[in-house]
Amino acid sequence: MTKHEFEVAMTCEGCSGAVTRILNKLGDVKFEIDLPRKLVWIESDRDVDVLMETLKKCGKEVKYNGTK
Amino acid sequence: MTQKVHLSSVSLSVEGMTCGSCVQSIEQRIGSLQGVIHIKVSLEQKSATVLFDHSHQSPESLSEAIEDMGFESSVPESSA
Repeated sequence: MTKHEFEVAMTCEGCSGAVTRILNKLGDVKFEIDLPRKLVWIESDRDVDVLMETLKKCGKEVKYNGTK
Repeated sequence: MTQKVHLSSVSLSVEGMTCGSCVQSIEQRIGSLQGVIHIKVSLEQKSATVLFDHSHQSPESLSEAIEDMGFESSVPESSA
C-alpha cells in the first residue's frame, strides 16, 4: 500500500473529527491525522484523485504533498 | 413568465462541530448547493436552519449533504 501525505486546512478537533468520519466511510483505508501540523497520512491503494475528492468533501482546502 | 417556487425552512440537528470554522465550512458548502436560499448554522444549539426550494432539496437531502461532510445530522420529526 502506498502512503500519501495531504495537507488539510483543519483548525480544530471538529475538523479532524469530520475528516476521520469521512475517511471511515470510505473504508479500506488506514490513516493518521496530525492536527497541529494540519497533515493527514493515508495508506491506501486508491487513486490520489479519489482520496483528494473525499477529503475535499469536508469543505476545507486540501493540498497533496506526495507519497511518503 | 413567473416561476413558482416552494420555499421551506427546516432546522436540522448537527453534531460534531466544535468551532467557528466548522460552522463556516458547512455554511459555505451547503449554502452553495442548488436550491438552498439561506443557511444559518448555530454552534451553541448544534443546529442548522436552512431555507430551501422544495423542487431541488428536501430535509433528507440536506441532512445527507451535511453527513457527507463528516458531521452527524438528523431531521427533527416535528418538521414534516
